[in-house]
Amino acid sequence: MLHMKDLTKVYRTHMIETHALRGFDIDVKEGEFVTVTGPSGSGKTTFLNIAGLLEEFDGGDYLLDGVSVKGLSDNERSRLRNEKLGFIFQGFNLIPDLDLFDNVDVPLRYRGFNAAERRRRIEQALTEVGLASRMRHYPAELSGGQQQRVAIARALAGTPRLLLADEPTGNLDSQMARSVMELLEQINTAGTTIIMVTHDPELAMRAQRNVHIIDGRASDLRRGPSLVQPHAAIA
Amino acid sequence: MFRYYLLLGLRSLRRNPALTALMVVTLAIGVAASVSTLTILHVMSGDPVPSKSRRLLVPLLDVGPRANYSPDRRDPYMTQSTYPDAMNYLRSGPGVRRTALYGVMASIEPARREDPLIDLSGIATTTDYFPMFDVPFRFGSAWSAADDERGARVAVLSKRKAEAIFGSKDPVGQRIRIWDTDFTIVGVVGDWNPVPRYTNLINGSGGYFEGEEQLMVPLKAATDLAAEPNGNVSCSHESAAGWAAFLASECTWIQAWWELASASDRPAAQAWLDAYVAQQQRGGRLERHAPNELFDVMQWMDFLKVVKPDSKLAVWLSIGFLVLCIVNTMGLLLAKFSTRAAEVGVRRALGAGRGAIFRQFLVETTVVGLAGGLLGLALSFASLALIRQQSKDLSAVAHMDWEMLATTFAIAVLASIVAGLLPTWRACQVTPALQLKSQ
Repeated sequence: MLHMKDLTKVYRTHMIETHALRGFDIDVKEGEFVTVTGPSGSGKTTFLNIAGLLEEFDGGDYLLDGVSVKGLSDNERSRLRNEKLGFIFQGFNLIPDLDLFDNVDVPLRYRGFNAAERRRRIEQALTEVGLASRMRHYPAELSGGQQQRVAIARALAGTPRLLLADEPTGNLDSQMARSVMELLEQINTAGTTIIMVTHDPELAMRAQRNVHIIDGRASDLRRGPSLVQPHAAIA
Repeated sequence: MFRYYLLLGLRSLRRNPALTALMVVTLAIGVAASVSTLTILHVMSGDPVPSKSRRLLVPLLDVGPRANYSPDRRDPYMTQSTYPDAMNYLRSGPGVRRTALYGVMASIEPARREDPLIDLSGIATTTDYFPMFDVPFRFGSAWSAADDERGARVAVLSKRKAEAIFGSKDPVGQRIRIWDTDFTIVGVVGDWNPVPRYTNLINGSGGYFEGEEQLMVPLKAATDLAAEPNGNVSCSHESAAGWAAFLASECTWIQAWWELASASDRPAAQAWLDAYVAQQQRGGRLERHAPNELFDVMQWMDFLKVVKPDSKLAVWLSIGFLVLCIVNTMGLLLAKFSTRAAEVGVRRALGAGRGAIFRQFLVETTVVGLAGGLLGLALSFASLALIRQQSKDLSAVAHMDWEMLATTFAIAVLASIVAGLLPTWRACQVTPALQLKSQ
């Protein structure tokens, strides 16, 4: 699903060069739930941004679902992001002016689905996260946990092959964090590949596999058997 | 997607109504200021007779004395023809039609002594005047060439004056008494009032834009009755007293017009004028040997400075003001869009390309432009109404027309797009990764 080989990423200013990733190798199979841990500044977010095609890399190779992303145009990267990836952020990143329905609608609009198809997917995604009854509510009217569920519904509505989660429970209390984690596990069980960056060792241990990044290099700390057979979460 | 962008744009504008109102009002004021002044300039400088403006020519000779003549300095009052020249043009000048005209004033003497006099201002001219300037008739027609020859006591009235005197009924055949003589009405002009009044710019009433020819009589009839010119008379030589001496003098007080079959006949018309002047010089006239000039309609209006330099300056100032408004709107849009960097980041992460973001924000700025255009239009109408109250001249030109109406919208939308380009471009440059993490 995701294959990075000898990836490098360097941030340059006038004075300083920072090697965020160096000789970075990772291979994530379809259906895996991989947690990514590491100290601050180790390169976790850089890895996730490159994996999510939100940033370019300087060297090495990156294949996403068999497609080499090197040298793709902005439009091609956007289309790939829209069709294959789903994002969940620590800060939820819902658009405050839009109600839940319209928030989940955003990636579907760029996908070019017709109105009926969009409605079906939005209702199904919000039902899956238990918020179908609050479709016309605005993000500010929801708790943090509920907002994160909406963000998950938005990520799922487009039936992504890979879900990238950047500390999705970082802003939640332990009860809400557990509930969100359970939801992610259900999604993974339904077949969606998940890569989740986390600082929480307990959550990291719950995944089949934990990759630790330090000084821009990845190492597998623990690898267990995949518990799920890959298939789409929402058909 | 356009409908989606439009809905997002409207929603975004509703989110911050004060900022939106400020942008719309800023644009509207800039648009109204520039459209109002442009409208006035448009009417002032527009071609009043586009179908033949290049074929209608005014000949102009410098008939002043040799003394104190400087070839570099034009006599500002030498803008008409002498009577002898005008007569020679009528008899043998070039073109398919020729006319001459001068302003006259007359008072209609009432049938009953106790009734008041009715004052008329108009022109003495020839029958070619009417087809040359495409004058329409409501009743009757122009007088004939034979009427011109014998100086028939006939008259044509303007529609407004005819209605004031005779009501709405056809007055053809009725008589009016002017200059102690009975004149028979042969025609009433229909709706015709070119702005600027290019046919008779040097008139005794109304100026370049306001007023109309209320009375038209044959030139020979007026001169036979010694109807004095109502308008500019410029005399550079001494002349004897009396009407006959005035007619034979070098005073300039008649405007001559030639209509050519084609604009390409102009060199031939110039050659005729040069030959005519050479002949006159051999007879001892036209001592200055100044250039013999021909002006078509637009050149004639330009020569007489129908559009005053301060009108042009006002347009430049208002355009400068519009630019200032655009820059202000640009600043407001920059502020507005900068608060939406997070939204751009999210949309980019969810699959929007830079093009999609650009289109979304461009539609939003266009919505601002449309709103600014609508308000600008209302303000333009209001400011034109205000301008109309300032002077009679301005009241004739300060009217919105369809062309300017469309221009108002085009300027507003264009201004908003120009104002939105930089903020929109900057919105597209948002680095999504940075925005998503900073939330």
